[in-house]
Amino acid sequence: MSSLRNSIPRRAHKERAQPESRKKYGLLEKHKDHILRARAYQRKEDFIRNLKEKASFKNPDEFYFKMINSKTVDGIHRPKPEANNKYTEEERMLLKHKDMGYIFQAIQSERKKVERLSSTLHAVDDKRSNKHIYFAEDREEAKEIRSRIGESSSAPQFGNIPSRIKRKTASSYKELESRKERVKNLEKLYADMALQKELKKPGRKRKLREEEILNSTSQPVYKWRAQRKR
Amino acid sequence: MRPPARGGRGGRGFGGRSDGGGRGGRGFGGRSDGGGRGGRGGRGGRTPRGRGVRGGGGRGGPGMKGGSKVVVVPHKHDGVFIAQAKEDALCTKNMVAGESVYGEKRVSVQNEDGTKVEYRVWNPFRSKLAAAVLGGVDNIWIAPGARVLYLGAASGTTVSHVSDIVGPTGLVYAVEFSHRSGRDLVNMAKKRTNVIPIIEDARHPAKYRMLVGMVDVIFSDVAQPDQARILALNASYFLKNGGHFVISIKANCIDSTQAPEAVFAAEVEKLKLEQFKPSEQVTLEPFERDHACVVGGYRMPKKPKAT
Repeated sequence: MSSLRNSIPRRAHKERAQPESRKKYGLLEKHKDHILRARAYQRKEDFIRNLKEKASFKNPDEFYFKMINSKTVDGIHRPKPEANNKYTEEERMLLKHKDMGYIFQAIQSERKKVERLSSTLHAVDDKRSNKHIYFAEDREEAKEIRSRIGESSSAPQFGNIPSRIKRKTASSYKELESRKERVKNLEKLYADMALQKELKKPGRKRKLREEEILNSTSQPVYKWRAQRKR
Repeated sequence: MRPPARGGRGGRGFGGRSDGGGRGGRGFGGRSDGGGRGGRGGRGGRTPRGRGVRGGGGRGGPGMKGGSKVVVVPHKHDGVFIAQAKEDALCTKNMVAGESVYGEKRVSVQNEDGTKVEYRVWNPFRSKLAAAVLGGVDNIWIAPGARVLYLGAASGTTVSHVSDIVGPTGLVYAVEFSHRSGRDLVNMAKKRTNVIPIIEDARHPAKYRMLVGMVDVIFSDVAQPDQARILALNASYFLKNGGHFVISIKANCIDSTQAPEAVFAAEVEKLKLEQFKPSEQVTLEPFERDHACVVGGYRMPKKPKAT
């Protein structure tokens, strides 16, 4: 029966909108919006009340060592750093090494994907960056060649390629671009981790100053003191 | 009334209610002339509803839009094509349909008359000839029906594409010295009748002179310091007068201390001394570093003097 009822057209229900004069207040608030807002307000009120109660019932003689071990910095509570002591130095080195291994694996797999994509994406109708030299014996031939280049320099004709194929090609190129970007980022990350690992090793070293670096880079450069090893 | 006998298919799962049940037939659009179809029975038919919404079914979207997923257009060089789809790639028509030589991608296209044509993607990162074609070289001279002498064939990856280009009427003599990569070359040649593999040193063309006839084009990718001499030696044996050569030059292999441009120029000079007439040179920039491809003619006929 309900299907019959549904088939009879009814007047569309119209929701009341915010009057033009009150437009600056945004959308018209409905009851369910009010409930949301009120609940949020009440929750905050409760929270504050709760804290106030706790403060008023506080025992002035109460003492825990955490009170003096931890402190606030700019109003932010900082517990005593102890998470770092969970692992020994060797264990931490091992973990870092494992992280590096994972990053390296990611780089390799991403490189493979880039290679696979770039083997089928040749940017056929792009302008090339390479150099094209023609050899001519005399002036006439040079002139002839020059005129020939002028008329034949048009790109291969793709008259009417359906837009769905164009879209597909474009998305492939986008994927290739993003993967290349990812490889670059991962490589940077890997180099960074490798540097940190080297720095953790024993041996005297110092960071080179700006003017001491021969090949200028944006990265920091360290120099180890030569040490005689048996 | 519905014929009860036809309930066999639909009514199987429903405890023998051979009669289709009150709401049989199509899931919606209910008032249809239920008669014949309604006999499929069941509970308002799951299959009919599913199909009704999707229309064509299978490929998605009501009524497949015409045309395939790939567009293949011929390149300016004969026998070379460009495929556009998920890939945007140079390719050649596969002579041995259904087989990849070195794991390259294949693209098959259906013609209007229903025949299928298969193309193999030609990777410019692995083939210097493909890189030169993409680099915009005017003539590669390797065309359908040409006889080609290929020096430095390696595993036969590019050779397979050259064999695709020259087609069944052409011929490719592929010379490679190394036995290891020569093995792959021979295996590739087993499936392609127009490839003749020769496992010999290209420095001694006399050793294989009985195998090779006159050729129209020599392609040389030997990457040796004396590659100009090797090319000249082979040309003197096998290249017809007015034939053509394509040579790929790796600057590092000839002189790693000089600038690549200087090396290329020196090589071109060497070629000129050996009766070659270079016509153009392209660098293979985005695909190979410090490589160039030089194209030209051999013992070209003298131009008539203009009066």
